[in-house]
Amino acid sequence: MANMSLKNTLRPGFVGRTFKSGYRFQRYWDTPMATAFFCGETGAGLFIVSMLVNFLPGIMLGLLITGVGKTFFHLSHMGVPSRAWRAILRPDRSWISRGLWGIIFFVGFGVIHVFGQLFAIVPEAFVMPVYWLSMAGAMMVVVYQGFAMSHSTAISLWSTGLMPVSSMLYGLLAGTTLVMALNAFGFAVADENQLALVGTVQIGLVVAVFLTIFSLLHGAKNGSKGAQQSYELLTKDFLSRAFIYGVIGIGTILPLLILMFAPVNFITTIAAAGSIMVGFCLFRVVIFKAGVMDPILTPADIFGR
Amino acid sequence: MTSYGMVFDVKRCIGCNACTVACKQENSLPDGVFFTRTLSAETGEFPNVSRTYLPTICNHCEDAPCEKVCPSGATYTRDDGIVMVDGALCIGCGSCAVACPYDMRTQIDETQLTNGLFGDGNLTPFEEQGYSRFECGTFTKCDFCSERVDAGKDPACVATCPTDARVFGDLDNPDSKVSRLIRDRMGRQPLAEKNTRPKVFYID
Repeated sequence: MANMSLKNTLRPGFVGRTFKSGYRFQRYWDTPMATAFFCGETGAGLFIVSMLVNFLPGIMLGLLITGVGKTFFHLSHMGVPSRAWRAILRPDRSWISRGLWGIIFFVGFGVIHVFGQLFAIVPEAFVMPVYWLSMAGAMMVVVYQGFAMSHSTAISLWSTGLMPVSSMLYGLLAGTTLVMALNAFGFAVADENQLALVGTVQIGLVVAVFLTIFSLLHGAKNGSKGAQQSYELLTKDFLSRAFIYGVIGIGTILPLLILMFAPVNFITTIAAAGSIMVGFCLFRVVIFKAGVMDPILTPADIFGR
Repeated sequence: MTSYGMVFDVKRCIGCNACTVACKQENSLPDGVFFTRTLSAETGEFPNVSRTYLPTICNHCEDAPCEKVCPSGATYTRDDGIVMVDGALCIGCGSCAVACPYDMRTQIDETQLTNGLFGDGNLTPFEEQGYSRFECGTFTKCDFCSERVDAGKDPACVATCPTDARVFGDLDNPDSKVSRLIRDRMGRQPLAEKNTRPKVFYID
């Protein structure tokens, strides 16, 4: 936080918390929140993909990542964690509230589904409703964070419909990736055909994620002044290495090359999975750090001076 | 129906920041917390350079994005249009701060409440009394000095301004001073393109 503030004041045009008119970084959602988003999308994506191929280890890991990881990082970010329950109160207007309801449905019905699978304790009539309610919750979790970000008109980089799309694509990509990785580690997916399909979908999702990132950059470059500042930060300034080499290079191009041209074995599967997850994690952190607010006002904006 | 708003006369503002100090005194704001700031901006090139002072404050938007995203219901709008934060309901998630285009939200952290204005950990009686209204981790912002407004007074920043650069009043009353200033001198809203319908106007 302290380093971030220093950068704010040193970068030309950025004013930090000074009494100058200029660009300001959003500094309220930082790494813990980015990690919570990463855990939410990864867990829900893994759960969805695993449910579709009936892969119990993936279902359980997905529930664990979201239920424990996401919850932990959200609470560590929150100013008053003891009141976190209050976030369920306004689903009529807040995406955070809607998302929390999604988590409750996802984890609640997901756990019931797992118990039903393991111990056959769920009555026959409730099996499918539990399945679909948990899936609906997971779908909400995998997209709501993108909606929560795109709802913020203050930060032009985020204020785009591509945010929920990127959330969903990254979540499903993480899901397919972890299913492939778990399979490589010996937690075998029962149906070979389904596994092959997951592998094909994974390649498609890497391409879709690459296109989404490119579209996001394109929109920022041609957007408002704040979005253009974000574009500069991502491509030329102190975030450029993490973004270009990490998010794009390691996160999309490298795994695409591995998945398309390398022979399928344990090493290549794990290497592709590792690079995808590193790229995804960096994407979340970097997009948060690149959030720039337009100058509140300048004489030129208001009076044409 | 009353709808309170404020007009900043940029021509009159001399950048003395008396408003900033008055606000900090009135609201017992801890170190580093400002509900209002007078920003400065330089324009032109030497030798034709001028500096403009631009007072900023919560815009108490009619379509307040901070209220729309608040998941706990801590942010709400009073009948008179003042956007309030109930600290007892705030969970400190920061979604309001991320949604506010004017960057007018501040999170209270523990050190701000314990270090004191002198930074030695000893709170003055003024601080002890004033800090009781804040809770660590919650977000806070300007409320147009709602207690003063309820008592029929102007907000502290308006009452203090030595040049009458700040004018407070009812935007719904066409005969009020704020309405006349906005009408006669083409009052403009900050970041109007964000569609938040701010109730703070700038005139020149």
